Amino acid sequence: MSIRADKLPTPPASRRPRRIIQRASGGVFTYVLLIIGAVFVLLPLFWLLSTAFKTPAAAFALPPKWISKPTTSNFTTLLTGQFGHSVLNSLIVAAASTAVALLLGIPAGYSFARAPVRGSRIINSWFILAYVAPPAVFIIPLYIIYQHLSLLDTYWGLVLAYETGLLPFTVWLMRVYFAEVPRELDEAAWIDGCSKMRALWRVVLPTVWPGVSTVGLLVGLASWGEYFGAAILTGPRTQTAPVAVYSFVGTLTTNWSELAAAGLIVVVPALIATIAVQRGFVSGLTFGAVKQ
Amino acid sequence: MTVPATQTRISPPEPGAPSRIAALRNWSVFDRRFFGLAALPAFLAVFVITVVPLVVGLGLSFSSVTSTHNGVLPLTFANYKHIFDDSEVHTVLINTLIYVVLAVVLETLLGLGLALLMTRKNRAISVFRVIFLLPLTVAGVAAAISWDALLNTSQGWVDYFLNLAHLPQPNWLASATTALPSVVLVDLWSGVPVVTVIVLAALISAPRDPIEAALVDGAGVWARFRYVTFPAIRPALVLAALLRTVAAFQQFALFQILTGGGPGLNTTVLNFYVYQQTIVFNNIGYGAALAILLLVVMAVPLVILFVLSRRR
Repeated sequence: MSIRADKLPTPPASRRPRRIIQRASGGVFTYVLLIIGAVFVLLPLFWLLSTAFKTPAAAFALPPKWISKPTTSNFTTLLTGQFGHSVLNSLIVAAASTAVALLLGIPAGYSFARAPVRGSRIINSWFILAYVAPPAVFIIPLYIIYQHLSLLDTYWGLVLAYETGLLPFTVWLMRVYFAEVPRELDEAAWIDGCSKMRALWRVVLPTVWPGVSTVGLLVGLASWGEYFGAAILTGPRTQTAPVAVYSFVGTLTTNWSELAAAGLIVVVPALIATIAVQRGFVSGLTFGAVKQ
Repeated sequence: MTVPATQTRISPPEPGAPSRIAALRNWSVFDRRFFGLAALPAFLAVFVITVVPLVVGLGLSFSSVTSTHNGVLPLTFANYKHIFDDSEVHTVLINTLIYVVLAVVLETLLGLGLALLMTRKNRAISVFRVIFLLPLTVAGVAAAISWDALLNTSQGWVDYFLNLAHLPQPNWLASATTALPSVVLVDLWSGVPVVTVIVLAALISAPRDPIEAALVDGAGVWARFRYVTFPAIRPALVLAALLRTVAAFQQFALFQILTGGGPGLNTTVLNFYVYQQTIVFNNIGYGAALAILLLVVMAVPLVILFVLSRRR
C-alpha cells in the first residue's frame, strides 16, 4: 500500500517557522492563481446566465446590472418560434448520431478487442486518421455529393457526415473498454451454450456499461454542439441550434438577451448530461489512454 | 525451455462434461463468423463515408468546378499552382501557424500549471476542479457568443472593467494587431481545461512512492518535477497537446462568430479559408485543393507529436 502525502502527519509547527511561512505564502499564491483562472472560466458563463434573464435594454447596460428583475420572456419567445424547431432538430440529430455510432461501434469494438482481425493495424490507423482529419476534408466533398443525391438539408445527411469522425472514435474507445474485460468471461459464457451475440449482449456488455455511457455522452455532446458541418449541410428544415444561434449574431441589431438565452439553451442540456454520466469522462476524452 | 511443456498444454476435456467442441458444433454460421460480421457494418460504413469523400475531394481538387462551371474535366494542376502563387494563401498559412502554435503552447503550459496547482486535494481544490471542468461541456458556439459580447469595445464588460481599473482597453477583435491573439484567448478558455483535466488525471494516478522517495532524498521542487513527476505525466501531456493541435486546426466556430476572418485577412486561418472559398465564393475545385493542403499541413505537427510520444 502506498502512503499518500496528504495523510502523512504534519510536522510540529514550532520546528521550522521559516518553512511554514514559505508554505503558507505558497498556498496563498496557489489560490490567487486558481481564483484568477476561475474568474476567467466563469466570466462568460456568468454573462450567459445573467443576460439570458434580462430585458434587451438591460442587457446592454453599463455598469452591468447585477440584480435586475429576471424575465423569462427571452426563453418563451425563442422556444415558441423558429429556435424551438432548431432545438428539436439538434436533439434528433444528436440522438440519431449517438444511436448509429453505438449500434455499429459496439459490435465492431468488441470484435477488434477479441479477434485478430486481418489488417487491423491498417484499419486502426485509418480510423485515427478519420478522427483527426479536419472535417472540411470530408464535409466539402459531401456537400457536392449531397447536392446530387438530394441529401442536403436532411437529418440522415448530417448524421452520416458526423459519423465520419464519431464512428471511428466509438469503435476505438469501445475496443479499449472491451480489452479490459478478461477473455475468460466470454469463454465461460460460450461454453455454457451462449451464442456469441448473446454472450456479448448479456455477459460482456453489462460489464462495460460505464464505458458505453461515456462514449454515448461524448458522441452525443459532439453532435449536439457541432457547428461546422451543420452550417454547411443543413438548411431551413434541419437547421440545428448552434447554427440558429449564429444566425442571431448575423443581424445588425443583435439582441443580446435573446442571444444569451439561445446560448444557454445549448449549454444546459450538455451540462446536465455530463453531470448525469460524469464517470469516465476523462478516460473517454483521451481515447482511454488516461485512466480516471 | 525451462518450463515443462506439459504445464502449458491445455488438458483434454473430461469425458462426460460438455466439451468445448460440442458447444462450438451447436453454433450457427452467424456465430462462427461472428467477429467478422460484427465488425463489418462499422468497417464498411467508415470506409464508405471517409474514402468516398476523400476520393471525390481529391478529384475536385484537380478540377475547376465553380458555381458557373459544373464540369469536372479537364483535370489540371491549376488549383495547386494557384495555391503556390497566391499571396493570400501565404498570409493564411502564416496566420494558421501563429494561431496553432500560440494556442497549443499556451494551452499545454497553462493546463499543466493548473493541474499541478490542483494535485493536492482539499475541499476548496475540489470546487476548483469542478469549475475548470465546465468549459469541456460548453459548445464552441456558446463560448463564442459570450466572448463576443464580453469583448465588445463599446458595451462589453471586459473593457468596462479595464476602464474602471485605469488599464488600457485594447480593441480586441476589431484591431489588426489584437484580433488573432484575442481569438487565441477565447480558444484558451475551452482548451486549457482539456489539458488540465487530462494531466490532472495522470497526476492523480501517478504512483506516490517515487515522489516521497525523492522528498526523503532532499530533492528540490524543480528536481522533483523534472525527474519524477514529469516522466510520469509525459504521455498524458503529449496526448493533450495532440488533441489541442487537432482542435486548433479544426477551429471554425470562433472565427466565424468572433471575427469572420477579419479585419482584412488578419484572422483567416486555413480551415476558415477553405470554407470561404468553397461555400461562400463557390470556388469548389480550388477549395478542395486547399482542403488537401490543410490535411498535409496538419500532418506535420501530428507526426512530430506522435514521434515525441514514442520516444522513451
